[in-house]
Amino acid sequence: MASQVSANTKEQELRKVSKMSLVRSLLPIVGLVVVFLLFNILTNFRMMGNMSLVLSQVYVTMISAMGVFFIMTMGGLDFSQGSILGIASIVVCMLSKISIPLAILGGIVAGAAIGAINGYFYVYRKIKSFIVTICTMFLFRGFIKYLTTNSPVAGSASLINYDSTALKVTCTIVILVIGFVIFRFTKFGTYLKAIGAGEKAAMFSGIRTDRMKFWIYVLAGAITGFAAFINVIKVGSVTSSGGNQLETQILIALVLGGMPISGGAKVRFENIIVGSLLYIVLNSGLTMMGFTTQMMQLIQGIVFLIFVAVFADRESIQVIK
Amino acid sequence: MSEVRLQVKNLCKNFGITKAVQDVSFDINKGEVHALIGENGSGKSTLTNMLTGIYSIGSGQFILDGKEIRPKNQVEANEEGVSIIVQELGTLSGLTVAENIFLGHEDQFVHLGLKNTNAMNRKAQELLNQYGFDRIKASDMIDVYNFEDRKLVEIVKATYFNPKIVVIDETTTALSQEGREELYKHMDRIRESGNTVIFISHDLPEVIERSDTITILRDGVYIDTVKSADVDEDALKKLMVGREVTGDYYRSDYGEKVSDEVVLSVKNVTVPGLIEDVTFNLHKGEILGFGGLSESGMHEIGKAIFGASYDREGSVTLADGTQINDIPTAIKHSIAYTSKDRDNESVVLNQSIGDNICLPSLDELAGKGPFLSDKKRRDFANKYAKQMSVKMVNVDQFVSNLSGGNKQKVVLARWIGKDSDIVVLDSPTRGIDIKVKQDIYQLMNEMRKNGKSIIMISEELMELIGMCDRIVIMKDGKISGELERDEHLDENGLITMMV
Amino acid sequence: MSTKKLSGKAMGYLILCGLVVLSWLIFKILTPHNFGSFSNMLNYFQASLIATVGAVGFYFVMVMGMFDFSIGANIMLSAIVGCVMATRFNLGYFGLIVGCIITGTIVGALNGMFYVKLRIPSMIVTTGLALIYESLANYIAGGVEQTLPSNLRAFGQMPGDIILALLACVVAYIFLNYTKIGTYTYAIGSDEFVAKNMGINVNKYKVLAFILSGAFLGVMAILTISYGSSMVAVTGMASMSRNFVPTMGCFFGMAFKKYGMPLPAIIIGEFVINIIFFGFIALGAPTAIQDVITGLALLIIITVTTKATKGEIVK
Repeated sequence: MASQVSANTKEQELRKVSKMSLVRSLLPIVGLVVVFLLFNILTNFRMMGNMSLVLSQVYVTMISAMGVFFIMTMGGLDFSQGSILGIASIVVCMLSKISIPLAILGGIVAGAAIGAINGYFYVYRKIKSFIVTICTMFLFRGFIKYLTTNSPVAGSASLINYDSTALKVTCTIVILVIGFVIFRFTKFGTYLKAIGAGEKAAMFSGIRTDRMKFWIYVLAGAITGFAAFINVIKVGSVTSSGGNQLETQILIALVLGGMPISGGAKVRFENIIVGSLLYIVLNSGLTMMGFTTQMMQLIQGIVFLIFVAVFADRESIQVIK
Repeated sequence: MSEVRLQVKNLCKNFGITKAVQDVSFDINKGEVHALIGENGSGKSTLTNMLTGIYSIGSGQFILDGKEIRPKNQVEANEEGVSIIVQELGTLSGLTVAENIFLGHEDQFVHLGLKNTNAMNRKAQELLNQYGFDRIKASDMIDVYNFEDRKLVEIVKATYFNPKIVVIDETTTALSQEGREELYKHMDRIRESGNTVIFISHDLPEVIERSDTITILRDGVYIDTVKSADVDEDALKKLMVGREVTGDYYRSDYGEKVSDEVVLSVKNVTVPGLIEDVTFNLHKGEILGFGGLSESGMHEIGKAIFGASYDREGSVTLADGTQINDIPTAIKHSIAYTSKDRDNESVVLNQSIGDNICLPSLDELAGKGPFLSDKKRRDFANKYAKQMSVKMVNVDQFVSNLSGGNKQKVVLARWIGKDSDIVVLDSPTRGIDIKVKQDIYQLMNEMRKNGKSIIMISEELMELIGMCDRIVIMKDGKISGELERDEHLDENGLITMMV
Repeated sequence: MSTKKLSGKAMGYLILCGLVVLSWLIFKILTPHNFGSFSNMLNYFQASLIATVGAVGFYFVMVMGMFDFSIGANIMLSAIVGCVMATRFNLGYFGLIVGCIITGTIVGALNGMFYVKLRIPSMIVTTGLALIYESLANYIAGGVEQTLPSNLRAFGQMPGDIILALLACVVAYIFLNYTKIGTYTYAIGSDEFVAKNMGINVNKYKVLAFILSGAFLGVMAILTISYGSSMVAVTGMASMSRNFVPTMGCFFGMAFKKYGMPLPAIIIGEFVINIIFFGFIALGAPTAIQDVITGLALLIIITVTTKATKGEIVK
């Protein structure tokens, strides 16, 4: 009799948990729709009219966010994305004078190289990922400043010719689709989630965790290296602030998209898309409403905290540091 | 004659659906060493952890000298007059010896918010000297001392304030003979001062020699309390296991010939600090057992075979000559491994049952192409979860909510799904109730009959004797003896090789 | 045993002093004329004191295993509040000191409370809060650079800065060695579960650590604005660049904890970092390269001090 009762309450508990997870998975999407509608009403549908302008800011964030999404899924962090974007953008600009395909390739290689540095120190020297990437962020930010000390690094004049919405949209969609298919329908995604949810057990299930972790950092660097091309064609040159704060934007975007910061099995690929869009809509909406930068940042901070608090996966981490 | 110190009344504690302690009631007297024995998972540690505030009390009462106590942490327990020396390291690195001794009780040295470190060190040193541990300096960082000395500091920490009850939880296994003697001395001293020791140990001769009264628990249920003078080891064992070891519980066959075909040979394997120069062969259709004390290195053997040891020397070779040096190669060549540390090394806790079962088999599930179908994965997971009768709502449920036994079933389902030929089971029945234990034994027997080879590493000697074709005993990282399957085998024979 | 312990401490000092001499020697050989005279060294030391003060406070948070990304934002906000109180409200030194320290303490308390109540990793909470602090600083500053008048800059030069920094270090030393907070800080850092079982109110002491850290960062804000004479309220997480130097000092402290001398290690460590900084400037390296050096130095220090244990899980 007693066991019957406990079984029932257990089932109820499970049902409650699954209801909570449903709410969590829907909240970002609902949030996106509500925020979008709200801003449209508040700005007399100016946002709708300026959609391409609004979206023009989303491509780089969304593409780079995918790499960070993979990293965060396996429980790591990456704060060096902004510097990766900056360095890769400089490389793209420099090489664009020789040939555009070479420039794109160069950007990817530069990004991958920095990713490899991150990966090396994180995986093989066993230093916490956020410490490593903060160091490399600072280090390469210094390089960017140095390289742009006298003047911005300008690319070939032909670069701006590539700046078309069609190209950017295509690139973004292609990359996201590839990422989605690989994450969702191959063993890659399951492995990543397993590493995030329990690295030791993942290792004992036959996953080469160290190798995987290293290559994910390289991959994330390479993806952002490619995003550098999209970044550069907008203005054709890189200033000392190139890529500045991209890492924070990505972090905020992913959190807004409902990503649990500790990674693991509860992440969803939609987090990237919904999060990036929500972040951009929120940002440009606030700008259109005529809010000052400070006000916008204040709102961003508050929204960020609310979302982390809602999505934090507290059951999986026993000691929260 | 003797007065009751502590009454345990209708005590219960559940972890999820696991009933760790069920309606336990008994009395503990003043001035006695009261041993608490039982197999792993019998609830001894859960009970004492509730008494000392490490776990919260599920339901029921502890009545100490007529007054109910409900400590929320160790410091509160200390204030009630109850302290504990734990199995693992109970001192904190980064603090001095004195700070460790007085942790949570600093207020006596604090005036106006400032802590008088000198007074504290002096007091601690006085205590250490009183106990005869002069060589330990109170102002030193605890980190400079070894395990044994740190245990001595714990003895001081747990007993200096003259508590009414001191719990000693499986401390002796980790200590050398010298350390043990030291501990026994203090146990006697506590008893003579009219206070009580609750003594938990697996070492039955030690229990009989050192205690006055013995309470036996089994699967969370109170079995009996006996006078140490009235019992012998066999009687205790019978009480612990609850029945004569019968055929339907373990395997019943004897004298079956094991194939001569060697499927795995381990040569001169050394893992620095853990195992030394271990060599043996595993035959087809054989259950090979490894027994020994927890620190004998036997648990590392499993890891070494699975390619999971670091800095391993020597070779692990399959019949076809393949060398096993890392986990992916091991799995690829049909070796399975379940770890003693189930939650960290066997199951991915925060992932679904389905993913856990599919994890090593994803390549097979994908077939030729790189893509996986959800349906295939689900069917696969369902099939093996059902076969192992995992208690669950569906395969999407997270493993973290399952009981220990069910987790183990998920792990086994994973390897059965992979159809592994060599299965290494480290403590497969640790913390698992009798019913699931029996399932696991039956499964092992079936696998054996199907020509699979099993290595079973276990601290429970009875199950080794009951299940294995051969038992290898480990001591101090080396093989100290080997025994063939025999119905006349008993634990004593094994124990003499172990210690 | 006591001789062994003494030698441990001596060993730590030896390594640190070796580092000082080594870094001095390298740059002295490279640029003998414009580097490393006694008065130069004194200047470097003074400059290093600013970050030292923040680092000794942050050490409490770091030992417990937590992290704070809002250090820079805290310093900025505190310095601006202090400056505004000193100038706009005409409170002079009193306004500067009280404004900075109280603001720093409040920010620390908020960090701790949000971290404990929301139960989110401290790193993430403080990132979110840093956004908010930055924008608050901006509002208070009204978007203008806040300059501390020259008659209020006693803490920017000898002996004011040394006295204040010394005072702060002594206070930190007392807290660490002569209060329960110090003991519990190490206890929680060593093993949170055991600490909790011992009846330590872990959450309370975590918040306390953040408050302490905040107060010290407030003092660092006084030194920063006195030394640099003005403060601009930046946005977009640009304040993060102020995190690094105190963090580096803290890593020194963590690395030398085992020698039983974390605070001296922080002081000397920050000094070494500054010698290297000024060394490069003396060499004529562009200022932008400084960040590269900071990043690299930090990475190297951590790599050298981290023991890579096989099979250890690092996130």
